[in-house]
Amino acid sequence: MATQQVEAGAAGHGAEPRGKRGEDGQATYLIAIAEALWEEMERDDRVFMLGEDIGVYGGAFKVTEGFIDRFGPERVMDTPIAEETIVGMSVGAAMEGLRPVAEFQYADFMSSGFDEITTVLSRYHYRAGVPLPVVLRGPSGGGVRASSFHSINPEPWYAYAGGIKIMCPAFPSDAKGLLKSAIRDDNPSLFLEHKWIYRRIKEEVSEDPELLVPIGSADVKREGSDVSIITYGAMVHKALEAADALAQRGISAEIVDLRTVYPLDEETILRSIEKTSRALVLYESYRFLGIGTEVAAVIAEKAFEHLDAPVVRLAPPNVPVPFSPPLEDAFLPQIADIEAAVDRLAGW
Amino acid sequence: MRRTVATKVEPDAAASGRPLPDDRLKEILYFLKLARYFDERMEALYRQGRLPGAIYSGRGQEGTHVGVAYALEPEDSLFPTHRDLTAQLTKGLDLNRVMAQFWGRIDGYLRGRDGNSHIGDWYGHRTYAVMSHLPIAYPVACGAALAYQRAGSGHIAMAICGDGATSNGRWHEALNTSAVFRLPVVWVVNNNQFAYSTPNAKEFAVPTIAERGAAYGIPGIRVDGTDVLEVYGVAREAVERARRGDGPTLIEAVSLRWRGHAGHDPAKYVPRELLEHYMLSKDPVKNFEQYLKDQGVVTDEDVAEIQARVEREFEEGHEYALASPFPEPGDVTKGWWVEDGYWVGEPGRGGGTEAS
Amino acid sequence: MTSIQMPQLGETIVEGTILKWLKREGDAVARDEPLFEISTDKVDTEVPSPVAGTVTKILVDEGATVPVGTALMEISEAGAAASGDAAASGDAAASGDGATSSGDAAASGDAASSPASGAAPTTEPTPEPSGGAASSEGSSAAPPPAAVTPPAAPAVPAAPAAPVAPAAAASVPAAVATVPDRGPRSQILSPLVRRLAKEHDLDLAQIAGTGSGGRITKADVMAVISSGGQVAPATAGATAPVTAPAQPMPAPSAGIGEEIVPVSHIRRAIAEHMLASTQTSARAWTMVEVNVDHLVKLRERIKATFQERYGLKITYLPMVVRATVDALLEYPDVNARLDGDNIVRHRFVNMGIAVSYDAGLIVPVIKGADGMNTIGVARAIADLAARARSHQLRPDEVQGATFTITNPGPYGSVASVPIINQPNVGILSFDAIVKRPVVIDDAIAIRSMVNISMSWDHRVIDGEAATRFLARVKENLETWDFAEDLGV
Repeated sequence: MATQQVEAGAAGHGAEPRGKRGEDGQATYLIAIAEALWEEMERDDRVFMLGEDIGVYGGAFKVTEGFIDRFGPERVMDTPIAEETIVGMSVGAAMEGLRPVAEFQYADFMSSGFDEITTVLSRYHYRAGVPLPVVLRGPSGGGVRASSFHSINPEPWYAYAGGIKIMCPAFPSDAKGLLKSAIRDDNPSLFLEHKWIYRRIKEEVSEDPELLVPIGSADVKREGSDVSIITYGAMVHKALEAADALAQRGISAEIVDLRTVYPLDEETILRSIEKTSRALVLYESYRFLGIGTEVAAVIAEKAFEHLDAPVVRLAPPNVPVPFSPPLEDAFLPQIADIEAAVDRLAGW
Repeated sequence: MRRTVATKVEPDAAASGRPLPDDRLKEILYFLKLARYFDERMEALYRQGRLPGAIYSGRGQEGTHVGVAYALEPEDSLFPTHRDLTAQLTKGLDLNRVMAQFWGRIDGYLRGRDGNSHIGDWYGHRTYAVMSHLPIAYPVACGAALAYQRAGSGHIAMAICGDGATSNGRWHEALNTSAVFRLPVVWVVNNNQFAYSTPNAKEFAVPTIAERGAAYGIPGIRVDGTDVLEVYGVAREAVERARRGDGPTLIEAVSLRWRGHAGHDPAKYVPRELLEHYMLSKDPVKNFEQYLKDQGVVTDEDVAEIQARVEREFEEGHEYALASPFPEPGDVTKGWWVEDGYWVGEPGRGGGTEAS
Repeated sequence: MTSIQMPQLGETIVEGTILKWLKREGDAVARDEPLFEISTDKVDTEVPSPVAGTVTKILVDEGATVPVGTALMEISEAGAAASGDAAASGDAAASGDGATSSGDAAASGDAASSPASGAAPTTEPTPEPSGGAASSEGSSAAPPPAAVTPPAAPAVPAAPAAPVAPAAAASVPAAVATVPDRGPRSQILSPLVRRLAKEHDLDLAQIAGTGSGGRITKADVMAVISSGGQVAPATAGATAPVTAPAQPMPAPSAGIGEEIVPVSHIRRAIAEHMLASTQTSARAWTMVEVNVDHLVKLRERIKATFQERYGLKITYLPMVVRATVDALLEYPDVNARLDGDNIVRHRFVNMGIAVSYDAGLIVPVIKGADGMNTIGVARAIADLAARARSHQLRPDEVQGATFTITNPGPYGSVASVPIINQPNVGILSFDAIVKRPVVIDDAIAIRSMVNISMSWDHRVIDGEAATRFLARVKENLETWDFAEDLGV
């Protein structure tokens, strides 16, 4: 696929998200997400959205700009600042047959609704058999100098709760197809939109409203033979750049984009390791107990006899995301770090 | 321009008139006596070591529980806590399956996935399966109410919590949100004056919980929770308000918790005189029974008949529970996702009835 | 007869104390009538009787503290016996225990020795199907049970159903032969290497490891497999003999901002060779500029045809080799070695070609390059380079060079000062071809130019010989028509 990096801040204008594609017809990650929401709202009356400032204001990131004019304030609800209630209300509405999509202004604020997410949303179906077709979505991830309250990668917290499908797409097409799948899925979903990618990555995105990406399927974004880099989110783009540099030096890296971090697509991961015999698990959630910890354990446990080197993890340290650019850059894995890790693996 | 709603604070108002026909009054008596007998017998079983898990006695609060639940229609939803099992029984839950839940059997409403009064039957009787975090179901009630409002169905949601839960942020969020959106919901607080060991005076600084409604712009009514008809009347009004689209109401029903927070708790923190006063003169079951006798609605024989029925149903439920098999251990990881199909159709019954 | 047991009043309670018996032996008791008072950590309470009858036996004294479940007294029921619900009742704490995850049994397999321990890791995995797709289950000693039976006792810590994988025991005899000590990490056999060796019936003792510290890597094993079987023991490919010190490597610790990379076996060999070379030869260096414009044009013109006809890409290196061979035959002192007090001149040319590969640097040798035309040289280079990269060179193929050529041009350098490949007299460097402005007939023209230089040993030759030699190479490259020699 032809993916381009675009200048941050580029966005089209217009009432409908489709009208917000660039002149070349490509859609940014953000617009692809808006398109998914719009199409699903049109397709099914039971789908409705709630969150802070999403209606009249169009959302803090303008994802829902124009929605309230088309769908009305009942289906594009502005709520008080009450995250527990946003989540709880979504659950109650879902129990009575609606399909809510709750927006969190930043994924960081999901923790204000932690109890409702981890005690109610995650467990209710397991305990009592009532499906909860609820989608929680919001911008996550760092690298944008937004510091620790606007840069979190919260997926490990909620993966641990169980019962919630968690998606972290890296590309616009994946984002659109996955969000549609999440809205149509009868289980609770957490859809994390990496804010670094929002306006920086664009590509050809299908206009077919029935084109879905299956939840729980990883995707090989680059084929290779010497090492597998298992990753997700913004790190996929860093890995792709690193892979280009590594190829110049004769090291062929295969990049597996998880897309869904819970449940994991173990088959695709293991198949890649069988091919390359070396695994680098690259992730932006914290090193200790981040998503990559589970991936590494699965590889070590289930692909033991295919490994020619130890499974290596590369992730930020467990500290709050810092603000000052040199600090944040030291915090995040950079392309040079990825290359160095691959070099170590290749030379083990 | 925002309307402010006056708060009615009426302690110990006496019930006036007979708001219901005789057969329904007798039904209320049945629920009260069932609740009392159930509570006493389960405590005995617990003390004998024959009841697994925990019990949370609602003794002395039957007036509240039966009163509010009796005001609901079948399609209205109820969001209770662990102490409100009586309200769920009043809403129509099957005693057999409730008992099976206590013994962790497959025929329990939650198929052994939760126990004792952490119970609910959403599809059968629209009750939310109780969770321990308090009051975690309050925001969920807002969601159900929102759905009713959008659909224009006329249904309402009712949530119950205790005095202690009103200190939690969720309580305030839910009341505020329900007021902002004018949701069809009734907020019931079962103020039995003690949150575990914490008395009201240490739980909140205002004299009553009912007056907190004003902070959110909704009416708050304080009522004698040991008078089932009083409670019923107030609940009925609140339900009708919600159904009409006039928004939420806060009901504070005051009683006393006669037993400890849970079976293991001797509740020595309850002052002796207070307890005696309530047990002797504010017994919801005895008082209502006497009232019906005085009004000529029931005779002694009628009462004995109801008592016998209650005892028989309890024994049958106990046997039913012990005869129901345990869940199959292999099912422990099933039921997370809708698509694994565990909750659609019948569960496996190969678990055996022997406890290990 | 009903046995009354110490009840469990509270999840964490394990024992209780009888404070006072309220009934004596022989007393009648009604159902729910209090029998005794007990005290636990949480509560003092009376315990009522579950049945009506007569107390026949009291088994525990007042004041005694006994565990939950202890029989305290016996009651014989009056009239119809109550159902023996004391036996059948659901006892406390039986519910709520989840089955242990079957993943526990597999997870305990991490007790299996990790190859990184470095000491005697050669344990034989239990026989398992080749193909490895289901290897995860096969790797622990016994498969975990499919459905866990109801736990016998509550609160048992999650113990794996199978005993911990015996692969952890170092006492398991090694069916894989111990690998000779060829470096500090030569004993490390990764799971993949072990499995491949087993599946293909290889003797790992026969495979030299080219990995870091002498480790046998996947590539080493794959090379053997793809070349159809075991080979004679191969040296690492440096011309100098490899000394593998037996002393164990102390483990350094990394400081802040530092990374420790152990020196590989190959790296050590190269280091020794290079250092020895600089300490042996009196090294000087000369460079000439060569106009290869016509070669560039030639290559453009013929490369497709050449590829089609010979199945090879044509590069400039074979042409440079041919040009150099001619010059070497003309200047035999450059094609020589110093042996004590004698200069040994070779009348043939074995051309060493420096090849960069994953383990470092290796110099395969085109034997008898003086007898080959350009096509032959091209073929020889392609074959040797490919087999160098896949670790398939034979020992005799990396020895015996009389002169060496290195070609760093593809990586971008325009001039280099190579180190002489002992015992040669010279090593020629062929750097990048770049378009430059040059002066031709007092006018400026753009031509494809390349710098060709040579490090040479001043003990054996002098500047004049070196320069003339290079001038000859330059002349050959600038004037020969390679087309015919390339058969196009």
